[in-house]
Amino acid sequence: MANNQKVWTRRHVLASGTAVSAAAIAGCIGGNGDDDDDEEGGEILDPEEYDYERDEPDDPDAVSDGTMVYTQELERDEDFDPVVANDAYSVQVSNLIYDDLFEFNYDYELEPKVAVDFPDVERDDTRYLYEIHEGIEFHNGDELTASDVAHSFTAPVEEETPNISTYDMIESAEAIDDYQLQVDLEHPYGPWEMFNQAVAIVPEDVRTEDTEAFNTDPVGSGPFQWADFQHGEYVELERFEDYWDDPMPHLQAIRFEDNVDDASRVSEMMAGDTDAIGDVPNDDWDELEGEDDVNLHVAESPSVAYIYFNCNEGAGTADPNVRRGIAHAFSMQDYVETYLNNAAIPLVTPTSRITNDLWDFPVDEWEEELYPQYDPEQAEELLDEHAPDDWNPTFLAPDDERATLAERVATRVGELGHDMEVQTMDFGAMLEQTIYSDGNPDDYELYIVGWTGGPDPDQYLYPNFHESQEGTNQGHFYEGSDDFHDNIVEARESADDEERQELYNDVIEEILEELPALPAYTEHNSMATGEHVRDMHVHPQMQYNPHLVSDEGNVWIDD
Amino acid sequence: MGLLRYTLYRLLQAIPVLIGITIITFLLANLAPGDPVRLMLQGQEVDEELIETIEQRYGLDQPLHERYITYMSGLVQGDFGHSIHRNQPVSDLMLSRLGPTLLLVLSAYAFAIATAIPLGIFAATRRNDPADHISRIVALIGVSTPSFWIGIMLILLFAVQLGWLPSSGLVYPWWGPEAYDWIDTWPELLYQTARHLLLPMVALGTLQMATLMRVERTQMIESLQGEYVKLARAYGVPERTILRKHAFQVAQLPIITIIGLNLSTALGGAVLIEYVFNINGMGRLFIEAIQSLDYQLIMGITIVIGTMFVIGVIITDISYAYIDPRVTYGEEE
Repeated sequence: MANNQKVWTRRHVLASGTAVSAAAIAGCIGGNGDDDDDEEGGEILDPEEYDYERDEPDDPDAVSDGTMVYTQELERDEDFDPVVANDAYSVQVSNLIYDDLFEFNYDYELEPKVAVDFPDVERDDTRYLYEIHEGIEFHNGDELTASDVAHSFTAPVEEETPNISTYDMIESAEAIDDYQLQVDLEHPYGPWEMFNQAVAIVPEDVRTEDTEAFNTDPVGSGPFQWADFQHGEYVELERFEDYWDDPMPHLQAIRFEDNVDDASRVSEMMAGDTDAIGDVPNDDWDELEGEDDVNLHVAESPSVAYIYFNCNEGAGTADPNVRRGIAHAFSMQDYVETYLNNAAIPLVTPTSRITNDLWDFPVDEWEEELYPQYDPEQAEELLDEHAPDDWNPTFLAPDDERATLAERVATRVGELGHDMEVQTMDFGAMLEQTIYSDGNPDDYELYIVGWTGGPDPDQYLYPNFHESQEGTNQGHFYEGSDDFHDNIVEARESADDEERQELYNDVIEEILEELPALPAYTEHNSMATGEHVRDMHVHPQMQYNPHLVSDEGNVWIDD
Repeated sequence: MGLLRYTLYRLLQAIPVLIGITIITFLLANLAPGDPVRLMLQGQEVDEELIETIEQRYGLDQPLHERYITYMSGLVQGDFGHSIHRNQPVSDLMLSRLGPTLLLVLSAYAFAIATAIPLGIFAATRRNDPADHISRIVALIGVSTPSFWIGIMLILLFAVQLGWLPSSGLVYPWWGPEAYDWIDTWPELLYQTARHLLLPMVALGTLQMATLMRVERTQMIESLQGEYVKLARAYGVPERTILRKHAFQVAQLPIITIIGLNLSTALGGAVLIEYVFNINGMGRLFIEAIQSLDYQLIMGITIVIGTMFVIGVIITDISYAYIDPRVTYGEEE
């Protein structure tokens, strides 16, 4: 538990006075450092430098009663049933309660967990046969069987929960016996093996008895079990002593709280009122790094941000030359260095850097040949030649750090003689005016939104670029070449990775050439922990954090 | 008009005010740009069918006037509806958050009254002395400094630098010591409640304290210059008695008005303080409801806060009559 009080000295009095004054002048903890377009940037942080070695205790028995408080950066929806949960912060809790059929390792690749091995695939890549481990017990003592796995796959579809799209390609999921399961898909589904088969397993009997009660009093088979809960306040989990898998967690219990205010959360960390916080704000990184008793952790994530261009008729940005002109007008590298150097890395593809690595995409080639680098002369040339007369585009951005990117783009385009108006607004209002609109160019020609995908390119390309997603996930209205949308669907409905890779190469190249959206940056998952929290490693899958126990890490408290 | 009739009359007057609040809030919330269902599902692959299913589930597919009538018919039966985003009854959500907000606001008021009145009297009785000047400067700073900024400064000093007090959260006495692993007894629980409450209470109460102190000082100065005080002095009544019996009581009428009317300011300030100190109160819930366009929750909280404010004003009016016998209940003698 957190209990690190500082000793009072005269030096502290003076230091506190200085700190208060400095904070007053600088705008206190949590400032976003905006409003200064010419602000000096910092070096972009390399997450690999924070890829710590294992830090195992000398005597595991001596650290088996450690407890920790983890402060999440957003409030949970308090949905702990994975069938219905669709907020990452509830899932951060429930991931410790449930075992998945497959789980992601730190390289973002699936490994069998409850499954004994990878499935046998039959019927033209539409039938998956799974074998699961025998003797796995839920926290109530019931055995985990194949019918529980089948229920976990089908319940989101049958109950029409927000997770329906993850499993709606399933034709049927049936237990062959207690330890074997057959899942039939309606058609081959490319991302299945890389993503969708990582289902969290719920006990069918307990859950179906009272689904509402189960949502806030869950039972799983994971390394931690439900201990205490106050809605909106905290969740406490304790180690499940009969856990079936190795390693057994060192940590005896964890308490999840939340603190949505960046400054307040950082203050909590600095005051020692919590053991760990999620999401270290960009501007507080250096300050926390300077603290002797705080460790920082970071990992790349599948979260990306794009600048979308309205391609509807009547928009200046309907012309790909104008889109390219805008993209050449400013430096994304410079923007990230200035405002997000500790939290993001510039992105040159519509897929995340992790996905690119997993798929071995020719990123360097694309960056060199296709991605529009900062080139004001070319920008001026393109905009002068192709932008409509008296062109005054509107750029919509949510009222957060993304607005600073919009401002920067507008400033640079303005310097080239084209007035661009930036409108910042509440996120919901912005979505209503862009994604959920008919794309009227008078309302917007550019907007910026983030997206969290996964290891499979389909998780970015289908929702953000396929025409069927207009009005639900995207508002760029890009028509594409003859086979652009067909290629996205074909890749989705193929299980042949080679074929898929070729299709995705074509799709991504077209996106980079035509720019319906400009890839902006990929954001990191970060965490700050007290020095006494040991062997913590941040996982690329945000919902897996804090990742307390795996073959690659087992968190313990050094008293 | 008797006190009971007057109270009843004022309560009846409050009904159209509250209905007006429901109409305005309902329209503002529902006509604001954005869609709560799409916002809830944003960031994942969804289709129109799922969105329509969820909209039907929460009655969002109905015309606006029908939704209002449905809402009001539930409300008169005590049903505040169901939160779309949190999938919980609104009344349950509000009940769980009301306690922390009331604890914060009432303690801030207690702090403000307990400090402002003695300081105001002190300043008035030492008019134009250095102590008076200092107290006026302090009050001016208190009035002109945002409460959230005071909160951040208090955290930096007392929690981060000195480590004397916790930086965030509250310990709720109504949960009892058994709810906290690290608290064993009731006295310890109350001590921890006070420790956690101290910084947010001061941060929120400073504005009220400064406002009340300025008014108290002015009223006391005016009161001490009154003819009845001069007469008392001429009769040789001790200064302490004059201050306590003759000047003080008369000076309190404006203070009561300000306390009542400042309730809305305090509730507004509580929103920010709850954010800064990570207190799970109504204010924070309100902001989150607005951000997620959770219509029913926005309505519920607005009605509760509006009702609290209206009741506060009524109590203020009634208190007047107790303190000043010259005040009548609205009828000519």
